[in-house]
Amino acid sequence: MKRYEVIVIGAGPAGLSAACAAAEAGLETVVFDENARPGGQLFKQIHKFFGSREHQARVRGVRIGENLLKRADELGVKTVLGATVLGVYEQKEVAVRTEGEVRSYRGDAIVIATGASENMLTFDGWTLPGVIGAGAAQTLMNMHGVRPGARVLMVGSGNVGLVVSFQLLQAGCEVPIVVDAAPRIGGYGVHASKLARAGVEFRTSHTVVKAIGAGRVEGAVIAEVDGSFAPIPGTEETIDVDTICIAVGLSPMSQLADNAGCEMEYDSAKGGYVPTLNDEGLSSVPGIYCAGDMAGIEEASSAMIQGSIAGAAIARDLGYLTPDEFGERAERWRRSLDGIRSGMFAPGMKGRTDITNTDEGYPLSASLLARGFLDGADDGIFPSMIYSGGMRPIIECTQNIPCDPCQDACPRGCIVVGEDITDLPRLDIGKKCTGCALCVGACSGQAIFLIDDSLGDGYGTVGLPYEFLPLPSPGDPGKALGRDGEVVCDASVVEVRDSKAMDKTPMLVMKVPVSALGRARFFRPAENKNYA
Amino acid sequence: MINNRIKEHPIIAGFDKGPEVKFTYDGREAAGFEGEPIAAALRALGVMTHRYTVGSGEPRGIFCAIGRCTDCVMVVDGVPNVRTCMTPLRAGMDVRTQAGLAAKTPTPFEGLDPETGAFLSAEAVSDEAI
Ligand SMILES: Cc1cc2nc3c(=O)[nH]c(=O)nc-3n(C[C@H](O)[C@H](O)[C@H](O)COP(=O)(O)OP(=O)(O)OC[C@H]3O[C@@H](n4cnc5c(N)ncnc54)[C@H](O)[C@@H]3O)c2cc1C
Ligand code: FES
Repeated sequence: MKRYEVIVIGAGPAGLSAACAAAEAGLETVVFDENARPGGQLFKQIHKFFGSREHQARVRGVRIGENLLKRADELGVKTVLGATVLGVYEQKEVAVRTEGEVRSYRGDAIVIATGASENMLTFDGWTLPGVIGAGAAQTLMNMHGVRPGARVLMVGSGNVGLVVSFQLLQAGCEVPIVVDAAPRIGGYGVHASKLARAGVEFRTSHTVVKAIGAGRVEGAVIAEVDGSFAPIPGTEETIDVDTICIAVGLSPMSQLADNAGCEMEYDSAKGGYVPTLNDEGLSSVPGIYCAGDMAGIEEASSAMIQGSIAGAAIARDLGYLTPDEFGERAERWRRSLDGIRSGMFAPGMKGRTDITNTDEGYPLSASLLARGFLDGADDGIFPSMIYSGGMRPIIECTQNIPCDPCQDACPRGCIVVGEDITDLPRLDIGKKCTGCALCVGACSGQAIFLIDDSLGDGYGTVGLPYEFLPLPSPGDPGKALGRDGEVVCDASVVEVRDSKAMDKTPMLVMKVPVSALGRARFFRPAENKNYA
Repeated sequence: MINNRIKEHPIIAGFDKGPEVKFTYDGREAAGFEGEPIAAALRALGVMTHRYTVGSGEPRGIFCAIGRCTDCVMVVDGVPNVRTCMTPLRAGMDVRTQAGLAAKTPTPFEGLDPETGAFLSAEAVSDEAI
């Protein structure tokens, strides 16, 4: 039986990071993944990630994946694809199926990093062709370049539902409505706002009750739900869609750990059954480590750090790193992990609905939580949204999420987040904004707008992030839309600013009357050129 | 002709595809790109139904797209139960809608009208066929 020093199961961000940390210390490491491509979820994530520079914030998930693969390659990590691990047995034996053949391998240590599976929702007609998981939508459009449908109902407003809805829009699909049974939008307000201003309607306290159609989805019935999530009779509404996309959460795929005899626990904050681990990711079985979503649903950023810690801990266990060398690395990683795990959406905060204020004491926007956009009541509350004349960034970032690329992006120091990356950004109005647009491209939440009231003749400009095609050209007429996606006024494109540093988030500058500067946040071209 | 392919994407520079190849879908000539999952090629053409269930003959189509749910299985080159979301398309493949566990494909099935490119209605699927 072939023996490896480290066997890693799963080539997602957690597994690859574990393999890199182990290989870097000199261990012979193999990674098995059942997929034809490595990278796990990362290659479907075409959006910019949150966090700080050390978490590769404002880098798109795909690029983070490419970097990780390159590193694994350089370190000599062996990755076996199309290899499904069937079981982990006594003496750290692993059974692997490749092309119909089952082989066993033995590891001195094992890292289980199998990720998560999507939760399902059953409703009348849920098996009809056209009802798909959010992961399937991402796989089809972002990996294979195929639109899953033309008009999509999104079920679930967590970050996955929000991010996938935006990606559907980018792929040229329509997303008329996002429903969520909870009374609040579950994901980041900034993700929701990107959709709302593009015309997506949020229905909180609503669910899908039926998929209608003969042989395929031809429509959906949604209904309001009561406090116990039961549909309220008489509130049904039929909406015209050809696809229903389900994004109602993920569950850890921890079966292999269970099967290996690891002690398991149920933890709703972690998304289900997970192995009991110490702070290095070690399970109750000596030599078996776990990392990433299978140990608790989190983020790629945290999965990578957990993987790194586990890989380095194994190197220490096997004598490739001294306890001091390990301790030094682990401390840095843990600090980084604490950073990404902070804020009002942190893993420990799951299900909490009692938070009414930001850390700074500002009241959370009720409109943002219920409908996905900030409204007039929020103007004047958040200092980063107060316009003081001339060329200025306006930052519509009103929740404590771990993210700070905006402060790194501004070469003039106009934007300050500070040490604690969950703090809301502040504007230093003493510093002069030159309108360089770097902050607009750097904000992963696409929440920064450049406002200028000095165009003359009662006009000003609004610069906004615009990640859609076709890209309008200077002079193009259209409508300025508000945060709620409603028409504010006529607008015309003055300029489209793009650069390598903005990494495919160009800034579109539109001309609007000065009176509309506070409300105009999106541009809809007059002629809606067709994708097909 | 239904075409669900994304021609231009604001973020993704291009999709990793092989050359265009011909295959047959329920006996009709169709085109896709070599190496992409069969299911992606079919969805690009607007095909929704991949199989009909054993007992009640209910239609099923892509659901997970990562090889877990088996809703997308079809008869490929005479072999039933092939997960089309995981199986790369090759030139000349014979892809057929699966009914129950049968390797035999009853026609007509829901799919594209070869003339108009429009959907054939699901009613075209008779009970005996399943
Ligand atoms: C829509 C969406 C948006 C997201 N946005 C962000 C974001 O902005 N920032 C962020 O940090 N995170 C984001 N995430 C989360 C992130 O993608 C995941 O948390 C991360 O991928 C988890 O990494 P992982 O390595 O634990 O699991 P995965 O990436 O799921 O990888 C697990 C791997 O294990 C393999 N595997 C499973 N079982 C077996 C087996 N038995 N044998 C062999 N191989 C197996 C799988 O094929 C897979 O490749 C997002 C997720 C989604 C769905
Ligand atoms: S769609 Fe689920 S296995 Fe293919």
